[in-house]
Parts: sequence; C-alpha cells; structure tokens
Amino acid sequence: MKINKPVSLITAYLHRNISKGVIDTLKDVGVQDLYLTSSRSLVIEVKKGIFSILPGSDLAQDPTDTIFFLANPDMEDNLISLILEKGSLHFPGRGSVMVEEILLTEGHELCRENEIKPFHMPAPSFTYPCTGICCIARRGQGNHIARISLDTGICVPSIHFGIGTGVRDKMGILRIAIPAEKEIIHSFTTPYEADSIMDMMIEAGRLDQPGSGFIYSYPVKKGLINMRVARGEQRHPASIEQIISALDHLKGNIEWRQRKPGIEKRSVRQKRYITGLVDMLLLCDDGKGTELIKAAMSAGAGGANITGLRHIRPPDSPLSEIPPARDLCSMVVPEESVEAVSMTLKNAGAFTERCHGQIHLRKIIKAFTYIGK
Amino acid sequence: MPQQTSQKIRLSMRQAIALLLPYIKDRVVAQIKSVWLIILYLVFFQTFILKIAIFEASAISIGIGLVVAGLALFMEGLFLGLMRLGSLIGGGLPKRSPMIVVLGFGLVLGFLATLAEPSIQILQMAGKSVKPWEAPLLFLLLNRYSNFLVYAVGAGVGASVCLGMLRFYFSISLKPFIYISVGVLLLLTFWASLDPNLNNIIGLAWDCGGVTTGPVTVPLVLALGIGISRMVGTADSGATGFGVVTLASLLPVASVLGLGMYFSGSVPQPMSEKDFFKADNRSGIEMLFKDREALSGYVLKEAGADGRLSFFEGDSRKITQYIEELAGSRDKSRAVFGDEPYALEKWALTQGTEEQTTVFGDLNNMQKFALTYSEKNTSRIDILVLIKKNSISALKAIGLLTIPLFLVLFLLLRESLPYPDEILLGIFFCILGFATFNMGIELGLDKLGKQVGAKLPSSFKAIELTEENKTINDFDPGLVQTAVSGGGEKHQFFYVKEDGKIITVPYNPDNFDRTMRQYQYTPVKGPLFGSGSAVAGILVVILFAFIMGYGATLAEPALNALGATVEELTAGTFKKSLLMQAVAVGVGAGIAIGVLKIVLSIPLVWILLPSYALLLIITKLSTEEFVNIGWDSAGVTTGPITVPLVLAMGVGLSAQVGVVEGFGILAAASVYPILTVLLLGLYVDRKRHAALVEESSPGDVPGEEKQNEDQ
Repeated sequence: MKINKPVSLITAYLHRNISKGVIDTLKDVGVQDLYLTSSRSLVIEVKKGIFSILPGSDLAQDPTDTIFFLANPDMEDNLISLILEKGSLHFPGRGSVMVEEILLTEGHELCRENEIKPFHMPAPSFTYPCTGICCIARRGQGNHIARISLDTGICVPSIHFGIGTGVRDKMGILRIAIPAEKEIIHSFTTPYEADSIMDMMIEAGRLDQPGSGFIYSYPVKKGLINMRVARGEQRHPASIEQIISALDHLKGNIEWRQRKPGIEKRSVRQKRYITGLVDMLLLCDDGKGTELIKAAMSAGAGGANITGLRHIRPPDSPLSEIPPARDLCSMVVPEESVEAVSMTLKNAGAFTERCHGQIHLRKIIKAFTYIGK
Repeated sequence: MPQQTSQKIRLSMRQAIALLLPYIKDRVVAQIKSVWLIILYLVFFQTFILKIAIFEASAISIGIGLVVAGLALFMEGLFLGLMRLGSLIGGGLPKRSPMIVVLGFGLVLGFLATLAEPSIQILQMAGKSVKPWEAPLLFLLLNRYSNFLVYAVGAGVGASVCLGMLRFYFSISLKPFIYISVGVLLLLTFWASLDPNLNNIIGLAWDCGGVTTGPVTVPLVLALGIGISRMVGTADSGATGFGVVTLASLLPVASVLGLGMYFSGSVPQPMSEKDFFKADNRSGIEMLFKDREALSGYVLKEAGADGRLSFFEGDSRKITQYIEELAGSRDKSRAVFGDEPYALEKWALTQGTEEQTTVFGDLNNMQKFALTYSEKNTSRIDILVLIKKNSISALKAIGLLTIPLFLVLFLLLRESLPYPDEILLGIFFCILGFATFNMGIELGLDKLGKQVGAKLPSSFKAIELTEENKTINDFDPGLVQTAVSGGGEKHQFFYVKEDGKIITVPYNPDNFDRTMRQYQYTPVKGPLFGSGSAVAGILVVILFAFIMGYGATLAEPALNALGATVEELTAGTFKKSLLMQAVAVGVGAGIAIGVLKIVLSIPLVWILLPSYALLLIITKLSTEEFVNIGWDSAGVTTGPITVPLVLAMGVGLSAQVGVVEGFGILAAASVYPILTVLLLGLYVDRKRHAALVEESSPGDVPGEEKQNEDQ
C-alpha cells in the first residue's frame, strides 16, 4: 500500500571486527529490521622492508560490513551518536556513518521503518552534510576507480559486488558474452568537491564508453566519514585526519575545506550530466529481484543492480516470516516514471507475501553514463 | 534517461562475433595461464634433466590442447549453470521443506556424487600393481570388492553433506567437527597400523578421502551450502557456507577403515608368494578372487615363475597341460584372459617357457607371429573408443548430479528457473568440457605423467627404459664377450651398432630366445649424478615433486571455483589468486613429503599423525572464517589433474623402489595446503588487528570484541 513517508536511512560502513558490537547495540535499542552486506574498504599502505620489492599494488583491502536501516527521523541524531560511540568512529580508520533523507513509498506490511523509542544519547560529535558518489563499474575496475578517492584524500571508499541487469537481458543467449558482475563503489565528499571527483572518476573508469558503467551523486544529510586514506608511519605528532577533525569542530562547519582537487587532471571535454533522476531502491526476497526488474523495465526502468543482503532481526520478531536472504535492486529512473514503475511492480506482486517488497526513493543530484549519439 | 522498449535486441552476425571472440579468448587464455606451468615443467624436466625423449609426443600435444579447451568449457559451464543451479536449490529448499528433508537430500546427493566422480576408478587403476600376497586386504578392496569400496566412500560423503547442512541450521562452528573427526580418525589409523593387513589400507583410506571431492561435486556442494546457509542459521556475517567439503574429505576415511576392519577377519595374512599359492592355502585365497578362472588367470598373468609353479603343485607338466586345455577351448581361454584376441598366445610368448610355447604349433608360425608382435608396440589410440568412453563418463558424472537437482527443483520447489537458457547451456558446457578435458588428460597429461613418473627414479638409480625395448633378430651368441670389474666379477656384454654409433649392452642369458634366435634388451638409464650419489638424486626427485604439485594445483578447476567463491563472498578482500597460491605451495610441499615417504619407506602414520596434530593446534588459534576456507581448500585440491600425475609418479616410484603400495602421497598432499592457508589466515588477521589498534588512542582498544572471531 502507498505510504509516501519521509524517513531516515542510516548507513554505516564498519570494519568487520567492530560491526558485531554495533549491531548488537542497535538491536538493544529496538532496531528490529537491519540489513547487512559484505564489502571491502581500500586504504593506501606502502609496503615496508623487503616487501617493497615485490610486485603488487600499494593498496590494502579490509573486510567491512555495510549495514543500513530505516528509522523515524526524530531519532536519527541519537542513532548516529550511538553508532559513533559504540564503534568509536571518531577515531579515524574505523568506519563511516551517515543519514540520508529518503522517501519510503510502498511496501509489504512487515516492511516499514524502525520505530525507535526515544533513548538518551548525548548529541553526536561533529557531523556535516556530504555528497555521496555511487559508481557502478565492471568487475575488476573497482580498485582503479576507488583509488581516486584515496589519491585526492576525500574518504576511504567502500566497494561491494552486484549483478547488473539491463540491456544485456534483451540480447538472448548472447548475453553470456557480456559480463553482468559489477562492483559498486561508494565514496563521500563535501558538496564542493563532488563535481571534480565525479569528473575524475569518469576519466579513470572511462565511463563515457558504452557498457562501462554508471555514476551518480546523491545528497547525504549528515555524516562522519572515515578519512584515513593512508596507513603507515606518521611523521607528525598529530595525523592529518585529527587536524581536519579538530578544525571542523572549531569552525563548526566544513566550508573552510573548499578546494578544487585534481585541477590539472581535468579533461577538456565537458561532460553531459543527466538530471531529474531518482534512485528507486527495491528490497525484496532473494531470487525475486530478476523477475521484478523485468517487470520494471517494461514500465520504463533502464536496468538495475542487484546486491545480495542479509536481513538481521531478532529471532522471535514477526519479521522472521521474511527470509533472511534479501535482494536490494537499485534502479535509476526518471522522476516522472516513478509512479508507473511502482504500479507495475505492485501488479507483479512485489508487495505480497511472495516477495515482501519495499521501495524507497533516493534523490539523485546528477548522473553520468554513456547515452549514445 | 531515454525510454527503453522491451523488445529484444537483434544483433548482426558481425556484431555477435565481435562480442563472442573476446569472451572466448578470455576464457581460453585464463586456462592456458593455469595449465602452462605444469605442462612445460614436465616436458622440460624429462627432456633436459632426465635427458630422455618424450614418447608419443604428438598425441601428448593434442591431448594438452584438449585439456585447455575442455577446462575452459568446463569452468564456464560451472559458473554459468551448475553453481547457479546449486544456489537456487540451496536457497529454495529450506524455504519449502523441513530440515529433515533437506538433510536427506544432502545424504542422497553426497552418495550420488561419489558414484558419479571417476576418481575411485583412478585409485583402482593405481591398485593394479598391488600383489595379493603382500597386501591381501588392499587387493580385495581394490579388485573383487571394489564396489563395496565405492559404496563405503559414498556413505561417508553422504553423511558429511548431511552433517554439513545440519551445521548451517544450527550455526555450529566447524572447529568442534574438525577436532572430533580428526581425533577419531587418528585413533583409528593408529589402531589400524598395528594389524599388518589393515596397515596396508591406511594409504588407500586416506587417499580415498582426499580424492572423493572432485571438480563436479565441489562447486555444486559449495553453491548448495552457501545457498542454504544464507537462508537458515543466525550467523551475522557474510562468509558462511563452507565446511561441507572438509567433512567430505574426512568421513570417508573412517568408512573405508571401517570396511577394512569388517573384512579383515576373512582375509589371509600377508605372506610370501610361494606360500600364497600353495595348495593347502587355496581355500584362504579363493575369496580374494571372483572365481576359479579369475584366480587362474591371475596366476598366469601376474604371478612370477615360482608362484606359478607353486600353484600347480610344483609340477610344470601340469602347467603345460593347463595351457593345452586353454588352447583347445576358446571359451575357457576367454574366461581366463578376457576378450583380447591372441591373449593366450601373447602370454605364451612373453611369459611362457619354450615348452609351453610349442603347444601352439610349429616354430615358423610362432617366429612370424613373434616378429609382428614385437614390432614397435605403440598403443593404438582408437579415437572413437576414447570419445565414446569419455562422453559416457561425463554424462554419468554430471547427469547423475544434475538430474536429481532438476527433479527437486521442479517437483519439490515448483519454481521456474531464472535465465533457463543460460543454466541449460552451462550444463551442456560442463558435460562437453568434462568429456574433452578427460580425453585430453588421458591422451596427454596422463601419458606424460606416467613417463616422467616411471623415469623419475633414474635420478637416483639405474632403471630400464621399457618403451625403447629393442629386438635383435638372428642373434649369434658367439658375439658375447666378457668384462671384469674391480672385485673380480665377470660381466658379459656385446656390441650393438645403433644410429651409426657402437654401444655396449649388458648380456643377460634370459633375454635370449633360442627358438626365435632373438635377443631383447631394454636400454638402461643410470643415476643422474652417477652411482654413489643417490642423495643428490633424491633431492632432485623431491624438488620435482614440489614443483609438480604446485603447478598441477594451479590448474585444478575445483580450486578455481573455490577461489572465485571466496572472492565473491568476501567482496574481493580475499583474492582468488592469493588463495590459489597458498594452496598450491601447500600441495607442493605435501607431495614432496609424500614422495619422501615412498623413497625412504616411512610409514604413512608417522607423516599423518604429527601433521594433523599440528593442524589441530593451528585450527584452534585461527578465526572461523579461515578455518572454513582452509580446510575446504584441502578437500578441493586433489582433482583430475593432480591425481593422475601423482599416482603415476607414485606407481612409477614404488615399482622401482620396491614398496608394497604407492598410496599415501595424496593423503599428504591434502594436509599441507590446510596448513599454508591457516598460516596465511593468521598473518592476515594479525595485520588487520594491528591496523585497527593503530587507529585508536593509546591504551585502549574500544569496540573491538574478541568474540567476533569465534562465532
């Protein structure tokens, strides 16, 4: 049934060793409906000693867990505080947490936002508005594109795997020659740098070629982002992240951080960005994503990315009816098509017992991909 | 974004080819990359180190090409079809059926998988050199009761798949399963080593465990396990679903040992060949053979002259009488020798005495026949037979597994397949690829491996090159001369002109056939570093074994599938190549140690017990994630590429070194990869911890919980 309710989407990217503790704490305050996916984060780690002569990159990869859940907006500050506190995320290098304003449009009756009862938490340490950049690239390209975030120092990017559907599904059996596996890279930056970073990522990943991928930016209401892009010996009494953090606190905002990174790398060609789009995120049962997306494509969706998620809920909760393996289908559609796609999905049974579906909408600032001549 | 229509896109032929070519190229190149090391290495070693020419080189090259093509097809088919099918069933079954049905399904699937995989047949072939008087129980299990062996192993594998799935339902850690099963196995093995008959089957039992999980079973079981563990259980992490392969490598060892113990009461004890064939021992040995004819046939074909005499109560006339009987009756001769034409005559020529040979008619006939028979005996490769045999085996291997899956899918789950054309195409690729690469292995890798394996001992002792058997016609015994050695011993020899050079050949009166006036001799290749430096030669063998194990493992399809799955589940943190390198190094080390076992005649128990004990300690220290991956990698390694090579090498070595049986190398090869992966895991874990600690303020490590590791 139609809901159309603005809720908060809280996402945290946490190092595998600390995620369990954070999840347990969230369960304690009443988060019954939590999603988790395995991902990896990248940092620069220069090889020391004898390893420096060995071939191989200077990137270190850490296993991380990406968790997210929907909650009522009035509790978002408390929840962020809780995650920050439990995960000690104010120490650089442990993870990021953020909250987005999204619209929960429709869903199965069991699929709603978490109604969190008020609990006391001190106000969160300094969080600030950011711009999220999501890039969908071919498998194997992830590190190359994510490196841009590391080289420009904006954040520690997070990468997870997905399967792409779209044009290739219309090609009959020949589609096996086009790989469907994707890597989805999430980076977060200040709104001032987002454009330059996007440009650089498009260049790096050659996203202006057909079939190379897709990139878009979206607004993040507030967050605390992990900026520890390099690991290794420190040559100063304080790390650069600590200094930036301290200055953020002192200034009370991030405007002092304005700059235009990579200006010498900027390409001459102007890129034609697409606006007026929305990211429709459909959560459904494992295995149902493909058929639902087929239906959506007939109503105007270009294609989607499907990521496997694990649904975490207390053992005795009514949500146990929903299978713990879920699919997240991310479809980027024009704003005007949202209604039609929703209706088609509903008719295909997305919100019934078969699929336990739920749709929420994420605004897209601008997007880029190959659109043809 | 422009509106998309939902009609199909039609591609022109050119566009389709432009799309398919890079796709095919990528896959073939990937397989060439994994196979080149082992092939080049074997060729290089035999040609340059051992300095022996490669026999049947053209057949081998074609075989290698087939292996590459077959592997490319098979791997693609695995990912496209078989593993997807496994995931679907794994994900769908727990939703619709109660736990007991899922467990039952696992049991049946495990059993079928064992019947389908050709690995047990390979062990049987290796067992052909086992002598019933040296290892009666082993001989029984490999020949007459080989069916029971397969069923026992099947039961073990079925039980493990069942247990593995039970583990997922209750989110039990793999560690207690490992401690208990390894503990029980080591105790059983130790106890078995005390009985002379059971001692000989220890190698077989452990090898069976390592060999069962083959290139079709492993990816299927992995995909099933991952599918099921996603749907059940309460673990909060992403990387679960492993562990079934581990159990499937451990439990069958117990079932084979159990089978051995069941039969050990009724088999005779090991004894000398002469005693074995004595008349008063007859009732004891009869149960080792299918029937009287089989026993007689064995006596004629495999027993030495002494044994044969003993069988016929010390009276050689009785042997001749028996031969006459066989020569007179086609049926009887077929019952004893099988369907091969002129088998009896061939036997008479090669193993019969003069008297026995003349049963067949006059001298001239026999001479003519001898000439045609002893011409260069290249085994004629019958292409059609090869294709037929391998296609049937592929259909059996994959069909026996996928048909129950489809049945379950359509009957129990009543679900339609997403992308059915891809899945069916994938299964077709699997079958085609499996048949092709098995053909290629038989034509190429196997032959190569057997040659290298048989010649390998030439690095530390003198061996005969039986393929280069030469016959001299119209040999005049007057040509033989005598040489004397430092100790006064006389050695007879004669000169032969060959390829324009004059060489000396040692003279052995037994090789001179007076009736045919022919002398047969086999060239000898001496120790690589000259006699007296056997140690250097043995080192060469061990180094060879290590690199061979390393190279062969990198080519294994099941390991490839496991590595890809691990990379997928850890979202790229643990790269496939890293896992494969770690496992390959471990297998190389294991095979080197196994070879050492044969050359120095170390009992297998001495190698297995300490290695597993060490493993258990390291398992205790490792995280659940790595324990699962590490123990599974061991089960994966010994597959269609490694096993024939290792067995060929083992058989070749043990035949030369004179050991009862050449089993056990595979068992050693299965232990050490676990060690390397677990050690790698410890190192990676330590680095991660260190990185996290670095980030926090001095003195405290907030938020990080030790219980994360033992979920």
